Amino acid sequence: MTTLDPTVEGALPETEAAGRGNHPPGTFRVCATTGLTVDLAAEKFIKINAVFAVVFLLLGGIAALLLALTRWSAVHLLNAEWYYRMTTFHGLNMLILWILFMEIGILYFAATALLKSRLASVKAGWAGFACMAVGAIMLDAVILAGKADVMMTSYVPLRAHPTFYLAIILVAVGTLIGVINFLATVYIAKRDKTYSGSVPLVVFGAITAAIIAVSTLLHGAGIMIPTFLWSIDVIDHVDPAAYRLVWWGLGHQSQQVNVAAMVSVWYLLGTLTVGAKVLNQGVSRTAFLLYILFINLASAHHLLVDPGVSAGWKIWNTSYAMYLAVLASMIHGYTVPAAVEVALRKQGHTKGLFGWLGAAPWKNPGFSGFFLSLLIFGFIGGITGVTLGTEQINIIAHNTLRIPGHFHATVVGGTSLAFMALAYYVVPLIFRREFPLRWMCRAQPYVFAAGIVLMSLGMSFAGSYGVSRRSWDVEASGALHPVSYDPSVHVWLGVLGIGGSLAFVGLLMFVVPTVLAVFFGKRVEAKMPAW
Amino acid sequence: MSIESPAKNWLHAPTGTERAWIGLALLWCIVLTLAMPYWHFKGKQNSTGEAYTVEPTRFADRVQQFVDSNKVGEVNGTPIAEPPPGGDAYLQAQMWRFYPVLQFKKGQTYRLHISSLDIQHGFAVLPINMNFQVLPGYDHVLTITPTMAGEFPILCNEFCGIGHHQMTGRIIVTE
Amino acid sequence: MTKEEKSGDLIEKESEHRGDGLHHAPGTFTLTLILLVSFVVYYFANWKALADVWHVR
Ligand code: HEM
Ligand SMILES: [Cu+2]
Ligand SMILES: [Cu+2]
Repeated sequence: MTTLDPTVEGALPETEAAGRGNHPPGTFRVCATTGLTVDLAAEKFIKINAVFAVVFLLLGGIAALLLALTRWSAVHLLNAEWYYRMTTFHGLNMLILWILFMEIGILYFAATALLKSRLASVKAGWAGFACMAVGAIMLDAVILAGKADVMMTSYVPLRAHPTFYLAIILVAVGTLIGVINFLATVYIAKRDKTYSGSVPLVVFGAITAAIIAVSTLLHGAGIMIPTFLWSIDVIDHVDPAAYRLVWWGLGHQSQQVNVAAMVSVWYLLGTLTVGAKVLNQGVSRTAFLLYILFINLASAHHLLVDPGVSAGWKIWNTSYAMYLAVLASMIHGYTVPAAVEVALRKQGHTKGLFGWLGAAPWKNPGFSGFFLSLLIFGFIGGITGVTLGTEQINIIAHNTLRIPGHFHATVVGGTSLAFMALAYYVVPLIFRREFPLRWMCRAQPYVFAAGIVLMSLGMSFAGSYGVSRRSWDVEASGALHPVSYDPSVHVWLGVLGIGGSLAFVGLLMFVVPTVLAVFFGKRVEAKMPAW
Repeated sequence: MSIESPAKNWLHAPTGTERAWIGLALLWCIVLTLAMPYWHFKGKQNSTGEAYTVEPTRFADRVQQFVDSNKVGEVNGTPIAEPPPGGDAYLQAQMWRFYPVLQFKKGQTYRLHISSLDIQHGFAVLPINMNFQVLPGYDHVLTITPTMAGEFPILCNEFCGIGHHQMTGRIIVTE
Repeated sequence: MTKEEKSGDLIEKESEHRGDGLHHAPGTFTLTLILLVSFVVYYFANWKALADVWHVR
């Protein structure tokens, strides 16, 4: 496979593209492997954001194992109090902290390395990072202290300690500063003409993510600030229906940020792993544009069985708007693998329909992670998401385990796996450290993907028999009125537990080599060793 | 390359299989879009979100009135109330129980009012798996027609504190 | 579909942005068709499941 690897001499062109842009002397280096100019300040931020991201991934992962072993009814590990606490902890550490720290790192990379620009503001970089880090630590502390057993959605009037809301506001403000720093960098790169023509596609995707992120974070502020004030008794009422509407402007849109970031990473890894070229820039960019134009309203799909919002409103806001965003994802779902196919066919793998797929570098975790992410996101996450988000069908899905069954295939099997795949390039190229335990790295995407797919299936089937999410005891033992399910429910909860445990092993197989590489890895002196 | 600026004039119409796929995907999105309004008019299961604002204490009063005038029995210390066919039924959600037990006749239509006295709850009918959101301050009205007879557990499916998983109730549907 | 030309870097770069049928991805197209079929089946199976529950408005 090594001939397909662009890290091998000759596969990546254009050393002249590695101009110095607007970098003052002594503030950048030229990457020996890719020829990209790496801004040293940005590099530092990419590193600390990535390190924090992995720490929160590990914390969230430990909670994940405990949850999986609790939902597995034959094991039922945690007590009720800790199950609910860990659900809150897991949701926030994963969906907010792991993902956001990673995304800020990706944005800084895209704006500086790909646009050959310096970072707009180092001070803002520190300010944003500090807010995020302090907020994150406060958040985890207040949850573990047992003062915020409210789930990540913290639906009012269920009340957490004020620190909880303050911490979320801090994380959001820090992220917003990072996003603005990214947009400012894109601006100065344009002003200083560090690149010619249009921005590269990956940057275009990153800009898409950043624009949606600004809207997301404004919704977050719009709801979290009043809720914080309510928690310290400054205002006496936050309307629960209004809360849900605005909160999902944050909760849903942030998923679109994740999708845009993930698709950008797919394009990037397609290029890094097999030298894939964008087939039609116009098509791919239009698809990104559709995300920006048509996403906000789709937060309606979280309110489909809510009181107070009419059927007309629900239908309009899920279909007209959402389905153009769905179209966008279906377009990327074609253009990304097609670019890989064309690249591999050019390299001579032309046999039959799928000869190229067989010849792909499956031992390169950067490739296998990316391609499995694409398949899981499309075949499981996408299909279930659109179906469950259909106005009427939501009646048989809302708040059942079908919902986590869906989003563990999008934001975990999709986004998180793509980010892990990216790390197999970030560590050698940015940290300039070699991975130890390379066999473990090669196997990791498969183990993680298999675990998540199993867990997602277990959740989805259990949920379709009516098993609720966020519920400690499926049997409701001791309740006034007994509940009962189809007996196969316990089999599916077992699949959930086994899949979840396997996914946890896959998560460790990512974290352990990454941590070893970053702190003890052999220094990459010239080119990164090919996968 | 996805990491380089494209050459000038990069905007071109898609061609070949790419064009075919975009066409198919668009067609499918149109089907998805039309399915919901279609079901709204022709289908039997819709969430119309009909709701009225209500003070929790006022709602509790109405529930009690409803129970007092429609009580037909008791199960596990909870009264059973059976509204007349076509009439209004009331269900009160609170940490951590549903009140009262409802009795319906199969094939009859009822206006079921659900609200919460404290925080957000969920209303899930098992094992048929129908789910709705219950908010304090909102009287959520479901115009509901049970189509099968039997005993149906109801379950809270929105996290509502440490007793959440024990928050259950019951609907009895007679022939 | 045109057969890809064996070409120097420059032409390759040109065609990269043209999207004029120079690309040939039958495998991907097949994959996406499988996706579409699974999507249609899953989607309508869910409508069917919904049709079986109580009537509600
Ligand atoms: C080893 C990997 C993982 C396992 C085994 C796992 C397992 C679980 C389980 C068992 C639940 C609880 C479902 C319930 O009882 O309602 C859950 C919830 C959740 N997970 Fe994961 N998960 C993993 C990774 C992730 C990642 C990487 C993310 C995000 C990027 C994530 C996001 C969430 C969210 C948002 C919830 C919902 C929490 C809530 O209901 O408030 N998970 N996960
Ligand atoms: Cu959403
Ligand atoms: Cu409840």
